Amino acid sequence: MNWELIKDILLATVPLLVIFPTMFALTTWVERKALARIQNRIGPNKVGVPMSRYGGKLSLFGLGQPAADGIKMLFKENIVPTGADRLFHLLAPILSLIPAMLVLCFLPLNFPWLTDEQNSVKAFMLDGAVIFFFAITGLNTLAVFMAGWASRNKYSLLGGMRAIAQMVSYEIPLVLSAVVVVMTVGSLNAGEIAKSQDGWNWFVFSPWGLAAFIIFFIASLAETNRSPFDLPEAESEIIAGYFTEYSGFKFALFFLGEYIAMFAISGLAVTLFLGAGDGPGAEAYPSLKVIWFLAKICVLIGIMIWLRGTLPRLRVDQLMSFAWKFLMPLSILNIFITGFAWHAENNNEEYGFTIKAIIWTASLLILYLTAKGLDKVNRANIKPRTYQYGE
Amino acid sequence: MNLLGAGILKGMAVTLKNFIGSYFDKERLNTLEYMWQNDKSLPKRAGDYPKEEGEQLRPTTTVTNYSRNFPMLLHDDGEPMDTIRCVACQICERECPPQCIYIEKSDDKKERPGGKPQFYPATFDIDVSVCMSCQICVEVCPFDAIVMNSQFELSTPDRFNGLLLKRGDLLKSNQYYHKIHPEEAADRDKRIADDKAAKEAKKKAAEAAKEAKKKAAEAKAKSEAEANSKEESKDPSEPPQTSTEHNKEENTE
Repeated sequence: MNWELIKDILLATVPLLVIFPTMFALTTWVERKALARIQNRIGPNKVGVPMSRYGGKLSLFGLGQPAADGIKMLFKENIVPTGADRLFHLLAPILSLIPAMLVLCFLPLNFPWLTDEQNSVKAFMLDGAVIFFFAITGLNTLAVFMAGWASRNKYSLLGGMRAIAQMVSYEIPLVLSAVVVVMTVGSLNAGEIAKSQDGWNWFVFSPWGLAAFIIFFIASLAETNRSPFDLPEAESEIIAGYFTEYSGFKFALFFLGEYIAMFAISGLAVTLFLGAGDGPGAEAYPSLKVIWFLAKICVLIGIMIWLRGTLPRLRVDQLMSFAWKFLMPLSILNIFITGFAWHAENNNEEYGFTIKAIIWTASLLILYLTAKGLDKVNRANIKPRTYQYGE
Repeated sequence: MNLLGAGILKGMAVTLKNFIGSYFDKERLNTLEYMWQNDKSLPKRAGDYPKEEGEQLRPTTTVTNYSRNFPMLLHDDGEPMDTIRCVACQICERECPPQCIYIEKSDDKKERPGGKPQFYPATFDIDVSVCMSCQICVEVCPFDAIVMNSQFELSTPDRFNGLLLKRGDLLKSNQYYHKIHPEEAADRDKRIADDKAAKEAKKKAAEAAKEAKKKAAEAKAKSEAEANSKEESKDPSEPPQTSTEHNKEENTE
């Protein structure tokens, strides 16, 4: 038994299992607070440390809410529908959490207590970490459909079907927009990708990187079922979608899985486009990199919450046409632009600033005009809805 | 030509404005926090409130005049059971959509102030865990006996008996009703008074009509007696005259 290796593995993985669930708990509170403030409400502000017996109460802006929610979830009754497939009904929430947790280890979080000699336990140093990431997040779709199918409820099944259609469609722009970074770096190794962006060379500071980041962000919203793409769990249409029949701790697992998936995909966006752990002072103090990485994830999560408070939900046909007729052509075009831009920049280094300005203007112009054209073509197909039976 | 995605950015600016504004502009926040959190003069816990007579917890003065929760039974001034308005007609029990009212009619009748002896509810239970606060019972009640209460602090550790409000819990005075829903209570009292006045007027009219009828009958008897005395000289086959014609004759005379 190699105890050294086991110790290293624990050193590399246990922090992930501590940091991200803690962030999940805080994010639920932040999300409820932020959405409340957007709607001019107060939000949860009562649950704190109960000290009424000793006079007064420490409410801490309602920071005790996640704990209260967790305790409530734990003690709730576990209801399984009579016609449900009990085994798969139980497996689905577990399967939705496992891939989300698993992909966290592919994020280049270089903990200061792990030296270069311990690279063998760092999963993100794997050649093909990005591929692994996409492959494993794809399992999430299976869990969602499993939940919808095993519940034996038409709303659950509808939610599951919607989730499959949505996740399969948006996987394509997601991967295609990540391809440009892999092309430029020439590696699928997340550690390499992170290293190539050190010193403010973030890929988002390039025309194609900016476009790819926007496409990636939109597709990741759809991948994690976030608003405005939350059709699989649309409350006003299909109750709660695939987790309609889930209660208590199983529901909590789904909830946790969803948020961890959000962190994971935001982490990948940070890795690919936002310079991973790079930031002010990161060169001098490498341990700051973890902090910067997590801070960037938090910013992306904040934007997701902001968008949730702003945008209404899309219709199913709008969702599908947006993926196939808008994001996909744009991301394919972006791959070509990346190739041209890379060659133009590397073969004409003597022109310096001029060639950069030309690349920026040309790429942004082409991308914007294409997007505008696609938008116009897609809009031409939108006609007033006709009803077969109704008025 | 509008910029692609400008609408989303515009929307995000609006939500950001609301988000930041809610921290600086107190006018924006339309949430009323649970009352005793802000009012320093009120006790800190619900249990510390002084109980008023006939009330379970505390005066519901902090909710608006238009707040409605569960039904209550009204009684007029005096002993609650002597002046209860309910006559156990069971209309509300039959109309209640979730069937949360249970009434048992009394065997004996009880004297009411300013009215005939009436039945009264021997049992009147409302299961507030079933009640959906639809107010249909209030609308169908012909005696204005059941109205909506605004008391909301009904949480109890006893899931079954604690949420089953008995007759004693439901009985509230008309003054209490005036206190929690002043406008509605005034309207209702006015209507009751109007109805009573109309009834009185009708009764008077009916009495007057009865009087007139009596007079008419007397007059008829009189005329018939006169006719009988004349009959000896006249044709006996002639039909007797109607009472109205008699009245007319009387009036013209």
